[in-house]
Amino acid sequence: MEIDIDAIVAKYRPVVSFRVKRSIGVQTPDWEDIVNEIMINVVEKLKKGEFRGDSSIGTFIYTITSRRIIDFIRKKSKVLKHAPEPDPYVSPQEHIENRERARWIAESIEKLKPKYKEVLYLYYYKELSREEVAKKLKISPRRVSERVNYAQKLLKKIMKE
Amino acid sequence: MKKCKFESWIDEYLLDRLDETQKEAFEEHYFNCLPCFEKMEGRSEMLAVVRAKGSEIFRDESAPAKTRLAWLEPVLAFLSPRQWAVAAVSAALITVLAIGIIPSLKKDIPQFFINDDLVRGSSIILISPVINNLNQIPSEFRWQSLGENTEYRLFIFFEEELLWNTTTKANFVTLPDEIKSQMVSGKKYSWQVKAFSPEGTLIAVSSRVQFNFDVSK
Repeated sequence: MEIDIDAIVAKYRPVVSFRVKRSIGVQTPDWEDIVNEIMINVVEKLKKGEFRGDSSIGTFIYTITSRRIIDFIRKKSKVLKHAPEPDPYVSPQEHIENRERARWIAESIEKLKPKYKEVLYLYYYKELSREEVAKKLKISPRRVSERVNYAQKLLKKIMKE
Repeated sequence: MKKCKFESWIDEYLLDRLDETQKEAFEEHYFNCLPCFEKMEGRSEMLAVVRAKGSEIFRDESAPAKTRLAWLEPVLAFLSPRQWAVAAVSAALITVLAIGIIPSLKKDIPQFFINDDLVRGSSIILISPVINNLNQIPSEFRWQSLGENTEYRLFIFFEEELLWNTTTKANFVTLPDEIKSQMVSGKKYSWQVKAFSPEGTLIAVSSRVQFNFDVSK
C-alpha cells in the first residue's frame, strides 16, 4: 500500500493537537511534546507497515492518540500526591492562545446583527439548550442551529476582510 | 454540499453534553471527517471567546430593557401620551389598592444582575475560598447548596480567561491535581459558580470571587 507519510503528518497534526489540548489542557506545558511523540509514533508505525488498512487511517491515528492521552493522565495522577478520587480525567477546557486574535473575534461578534448575537448569547454564553433558545426566541430549534452556523460563517468572513 | 450526520454533535461535544460513548464516537469521527473537524475548530474558538469575554460582548443583551424595545414600540403607539398618563395613574391606584387588600401569597422569583448576567432566581453564596493571599492552592471550592436536583458548574479563571470548568451535583468540588499543577503562586485567579435546573436552565449565579496564593509563606 502506497502511503504519503508527509501528507498524513500535515493533515493529522492539527487534529491530534486539538484532541490533546482538549484532553489535558493547553495550560499543561507538555501538550506540544505529547503531540510530537504521537506524530513520531504514527510515522514509525506507518514505516514499519503496522497500518494494514483494517480501519481507516483516521481511526488508526485516533487510537494511538487516545492511548497516549490515557497514559499521560495515568502517569500524572500517580506522580501527584493526593490524587483526586475517581475522576482524574480533566474536563475539557478552553484557552485562548492568542489574546490579540481573541479580542478580534470578540469585536467581530459585537458587530454581528442582533438576531445572530442573541443566539450566541443564549446558546454559548448562557448555555441554554437548543430547545430552550428556540422557545425563548420563538423560532424552531433547527433555526437556532442555522443561526449559529451562519454566525460562524459571518465571523469567518469579517475576519478575512 | 451534503451535511454530515455528526455535524449536530459539534456543539454538544464542545458544550460537554455528550455521554462518554458518544464523546468517543465523535472524537473518532472527527479524526475521519475533515469538514467536521474544521467546523469544530472554528466553533471551539468562537465558544472560548464567548465564554471568556461574554460579559463585554453581550453588555446589551444582558440589559433586558433594550431587548424589550422591539415589541414595546407598537404597544406604545396604541395610546397617546396623555391617555397613557391617565392609564398609568389608574393602574398605580389599582396596584396600591390591590397590594393593600390582597396579601401577597406567592413570592416573586427575584431577578438581578451579577457581572452583567441577568439571574433568574436566587444567588449562590460562595463559602470558600473567599479570602485572598492563601498560603497554598485551595484544594476545595465550596458554596451554599440550593437544594436537591441542582447541577452546579464551577468556573475557575486565570486573570480574565477560563482556566477550568466542571459540573457537579454536590455543593463542592475538589480541585484535580491536573489543574493545581497549572496554577502559579502569586498570580490572580477567580472563581464563580452557576446553578442549573434539571432541565438545564440557568437558575442562579454567584459573584466572581478573586483569590491568590503564595506558597512561600
